[in-house]
Amino acid sequence: MIITKMALPRRTFLRGVGATLALPLLDGMVPALSAMRNTAARPQARLYVGYVPNGVIMDQWTPAAEGRDFILPQTLAPLAPFQDQVTVVSGLESEPMFPLPGEGTGDHVRAASAFLTGVHPKKTEGPDIRGGTSMDQIAAAKIGQDTQLTSLELALDPNELIGACEAGWSCAYANTLSWRNPTTPLPMENQPRAVFERLFGDTDDTSQAARLARIREDRSILDSLVHEVDSFRHTLAPADRDKVNQYLDAIRDIERRIRLAELQSHVELPELARPTGGIPDTFAEHARLMFDLQLLALQTDMTRVITFMMSREVSPRTYPELGIPDPHHGLSHHQNRPVQMEKLAKLNRHHIEQFAYFVGRLAETPDGDGSLLDHMMMLYGCGISDGNQHLHMNLPILLVGGSAGRMRGGRHVRVADETPLTNLQLSLLDKVGVPTEKLGDSTGQLKHLSDV
Amino acid sequence: MAYRCFRTRIVPLVCTRGVPAVLAWALLALAAGGPGAALAQSTQDDRALLTRYCVGCHNDRTLTAGVSLQGVDFDRVGEHAGEVELWEKVIRKLRTRAMPPAGRPRPSEAQYEGVVARLETAIDAAAADPNPGRRPAVHRLNRAEYANAIRDLLALDVDTRALLPADDSGYGFDNIADVLSVSPMLTERYLSAARKISRLAVGDPNLAPSTEIFTVDKYLKQDARVSDDLPFGSRGGLAVRHTFPVDGEYVVRIYLARTYDGRLRGLANRHELEVRLDGALVETLTVGGPLLDASGAEQRRDYRNSADDAQEVRFTVPAGPHMLAVTFVDQAAVLEGMRRPHYAVTSYEYAGDQSHDPGIGRIELRGPYNVTGRGDTPSRRAIFSCRPPAGAVPSGPEEVACAREILGALGRRAFRRPLDGGDLDMLLRFFHLGREGGDFDAGIEMALRRVLVSPDFLFRRERDPEGAAPGAPYLVGEHELAARLSFFLWSSIPDDELLDLADRGALREPGVLEAQVERMLADPRAASLVDNFGGQWLYLRNMALVAPDPYAFADFDANLREAMAREMELFLDRQIRRDRSVLELLTSDETFVNQRLAEHYGISNVYGNHFRPVVLEGGLSPRRGLLGKGSLLTVTSYAHRTSPVVRGKWLLENILGSPPPPPPADVPALAENDDSGEPPRSVRERLEVHRENPACAGCHRVMDPLGFALENFDAIGRWRTLTEAGTPVDAAGELADGTPVDGPESLAAALLKRPESFVTTVTEKLMTYGLGRGVEYYDAPAVRRVVREAADDDYRWSAIVAGIARSVPFQLRRGPAS
Repeated sequence: MIITKMALPRRTFLRGVGATLALPLLDGMVPALSAMRNTAARPQARLYVGYVPNGVIMDQWTPAAEGRDFILPQTLAPLAPFQDQVTVVSGLESEPMFPLPGEGTGDHVRAASAFLTGVHPKKTEGPDIRGGTSMDQIAAAKIGQDTQLTSLELALDPNELIGACEAGWSCAYANTLSWRNPTTPLPMENQPRAVFERLFGDTDDTSQAARLARIREDRSILDSLVHEVDSFRHTLAPADRDKVNQYLDAIRDIERRIRLAELQSHVELPELARPTGGIPDTFAEHARLMFDLQLLALQTDMTRVITFMMSREVSPRTYPELGIPDPHHGLSHHQNRPVQMEKLAKLNRHHIEQFAYFVGRLAETPDGDGSLLDHMMMLYGCGISDGNQHLHMNLPILLVGGSAGRMRGGRHVRVADETPLTNLQLSLLDKVGVPTEKLGDSTGQLKHLSDV
Repeated sequence: MAYRCFRTRIVPLVCTRGVPAVLAWALLALAAGGPGAALAQSTQDDRALLTRYCVGCHNDRTLTAGVSLQGVDFDRVGEHAGEVELWEKVIRKLRTRAMPPAGRPRPSEAQYEGVVARLETAIDAAAADPNPGRRPAVHRLNRAEYANAIRDLLALDVDTRALLPADDSGYGFDNIADVLSVSPMLTERYLSAARKISRLAVGDPNLAPSTEIFTVDKYLKQDARVSDDLPFGSRGGLAVRHTFPVDGEYVVRIYLARTYDGRLRGLANRHELEVRLDGALVETLTVGGPLLDASGAEQRRDYRNSADDAQEVRFTVPAGPHMLAVTFVDQAAVLEGMRRPHYAVTSYEYAGDQSHDPGIGRIELRGPYNVTGRGDTPSRRAIFSCRPPAGAVPSGPEEVACAREILGALGRRAFRRPLDGGDLDMLLRFFHLGREGGDFDAGIEMALRRVLVSPDFLFRRERDPEGAAPGAPYLVGEHELAARLSFFLWSSIPDDELLDLADRGALREPGVLEAQVERMLADPRAASLVDNFGGQWLYLRNMALVAPDPYAFADFDANLREAMAREMELFLDRQIRRDRSVLELLTSDETFVNQRLAEHYGISNVYGNHFRPVVLEGGLSPRRGLLGKGSLLTVTSYAHRTSPVVRGKWLLENILGSPPPPPPADVPALAENDDSGEPPRSVRERLEVHRENPACAGCHRVMDPLGFALENFDAIGRWRTLTEAGTPVDAAGELADGTPVDGPESLAAALLKRPESFVTTVTEKLMTYGLGRGVEYYDAPAVRRVVREAADDDYRWSAIVAGIARSVPFQLRRGPAS
């Protein structure tokens, strides 16, 4: 792996990835790298989750017609070039996102934390947070085993704003969508440089010899750490071992990664420019840089599961570059005033535009017998439909990608009332080869998607 | 082993095993002083009072807010363990006068005070056991603590914001043990950080060149000197403190700021650009100037898009921390007479303007090249307490002896306890591993790398003593106490003095704890109280993230953003360092401004970027204390307007300690003004509509008047007399207890009418932060005791901090659940 630490500003990096990377990778690099050539005739589908917060203007999201003959409305229009790979699913709801009797506010927190778990989070500010295992992690536990990273969790917003979490709820519930298990939320990374280093390392000399030496050092450290952490753990009362168990699990996870890295150490990577700066100024620039990195991660088969929270619930982000100085969350409580609804719809579309950029990149990236998009199973949506009233029914949900031949797009599907979102997610897990019995409040797979 | 039990007035019963001398001291110390009020007996009156004013709503039938006072035992307040939590709720509501609700009949002030004092006294006296709570056994260092630990261990400043992810927070702080979890991503970052840090600390002569980028905020106005680290007569630019990893050559490349369409500014005139290292001039570059010289020869090509193509300087620098500065020479004096239009840096006009003077966009620092050695850095001096003699056998006994000395000292500081043989053997194994592939220093680097991922470094551990009785309180060990102190006051590991005291078991000897608290507060490391405690309590950290609407506040530039944050830091630092009364937080007439902030506040005769103390008097007196600080007013506002609700809620939570319940579901947000043709309405008018809804009125009647009192400050803290809607500001209102307020000064006075209320809030916040866990109802006696004792000392910071350090939850820990 040759990763030069060249000094390139962000724009050059973006161009650089497009130009220097695409060619050599297309040129047989990906098959060499990816395990798919050696495993099955059928390429492995990759699972992708994209999330936007605070609800959307549903009128501008939901196509008027159902079935195959529909027109993507204003908000979704940027996806029109890929319409045959897009399925709009209307009518899903999530019962666990609604408040329990007397629980009060927390609709945003529950929308985020139940989105992939289908589990009503426990209302608490700290010590005893409890959600559910998220569907991306269920997938990662299986299809992530052949890749260096079982999954990648990314975000754009900083999670450092104080006082921005709903009263009575731990910020952990809003900071991530991904839960390794009911007590371990997985943090999401928002710094492009950190993502790059996580994928491709942070060393300067990336010759095979140097990489193997590095692997040996890392292995010695991890070996002795496992022993030390284990004995550290035994000095603690069983009830106190939670954090240390997390550490031990994480170390084992990294050991697994190093084993794979060693197996793949003969593989040469093209020259890549490392993103050097911090976080780009605007939402769109930041989003696209992160999408470029996700494309890289998929192209190089570093991971097959990505969860990307494009913005977090209750986000107060303003979009002055779009002429929207109002904070997003405030705007979502539009009280059905046309001016505010129009701004919110513009913002919803802006998010979709960035997502469509990524879909476009996937579509133009060859992978096995087709494009990466053909092998993606992408879920995009929000745990709130009408942000003004915090509704968790008729959720805005999109599916994109061919899931390696198991998903047919170009449809607008409307499901029966009260169909759990998790039923769709069970189907998606099935489509990426991880059949699962139950996810949170699921009652069975969604039959609408079983026709492929 | 026999249990020893002690019964005292404050800590009625402590049972433990062993260490009787120490425990006896602790209990004496804990028992010193006592409730201020005598144990007055008027339970009949109290019962009548609570029945009259409270039970109408809080009875078994209506169960308002899930609380019933019907059937509680008024005669034996505090003696029923199951009722204590309820009583503490009652006390809090009465103490803050939050109940009965506004508009309902309420007791007289004297009655309020009497009943609260008696309830508190009864509970404090009757507590059957001191319940110190149980700090979690494992407490991961957060990002700030990790950075400080590296600084104190290795004399190395690292930017952990780039190395580690942000931490989750709970109870308003990001150092809460139970909330700080561990993920594979974090663990990978720990491994990576350990390698980078140990390499930087030891110095690696084989280091390949790399690039660091330092960006100037695009909203920084670069028309004057922008930092105290830049020379007088400079204009714009930046100064960065950077640790150069080895002796060698480095290249700094300068990119100028550009207009929105990518062009450079101000090239019609010649500008000098200086590169300085530790203040000394390295090189002067030039940009711009006339196209043709006097004889008509071409002086430069038109390079408005490329003038900064080759602006780079190569220089030799010794390893270690240095201040690198890049700035323009201020030519204001030379070019006097030219008056340019004033554009706010956030405006579209400015974004495209090419006539302004050029500014620095970012600099890239590349290197090292032609490395000449590891150099002599503070880190190397901190690590290498010995050197093996020249010619020593690799990994031979002489080297091992020196490695043992080095790693023994590092390990003890890093693990915050004496090392045992196993620890050292493990570290020496890594020394040998590194030595195999390199020299002696490479061996130390490898062992250091191992230290930095050890659970003993990354986690603070509190262990139960052998045979601890389930649920029984015990004194925490001396090394754990040392760590509690250092992480509380320094957000860092204990220093050698604290560790030595702990090794000798002397931390609890008479006067030692107080002396240590005094020493630690005077130490520069106590700045972490401002950064981490103040930064979160006062939402100061949000200053870096707020985004005021550039249409409404076009002149909110980065200079102002930084100045506001700096003012609050300096203010809080001065309050703590001068050991003022915490009450002065709300009243102090002293603050700190530079020219930018002074202009914002309307203070005249302040010139330059340097901050200086000013006295807020006359027309400036509304700015006294926290409530008039631009940063607090900005972080409690929306992007485009003030929010009396957000400000009121902040005050309830953080000043009065009585957070409002969350709003009920399905409440519409406040209507915004829009372009619908209706005349704009002030926030007050709109809130009045909101409060017509009885579901909202209960809380908003309490919250809103607090916020309205600050309405003369706009959403970026400027003084104003007209609202966003163009109507006159009306700051008048009535607080929950009926006190009328009409502005920041009367609000501060009202908040301090019962000073112990504010001091209690500060103490609770400090205790949450100091313990790294939420403050629970059973901590209330300890909090009250800190407040009572500090009252004799004018509520000085040192008195409160020392009181917390002496308190039951800080000194003791409850044994594991059975």
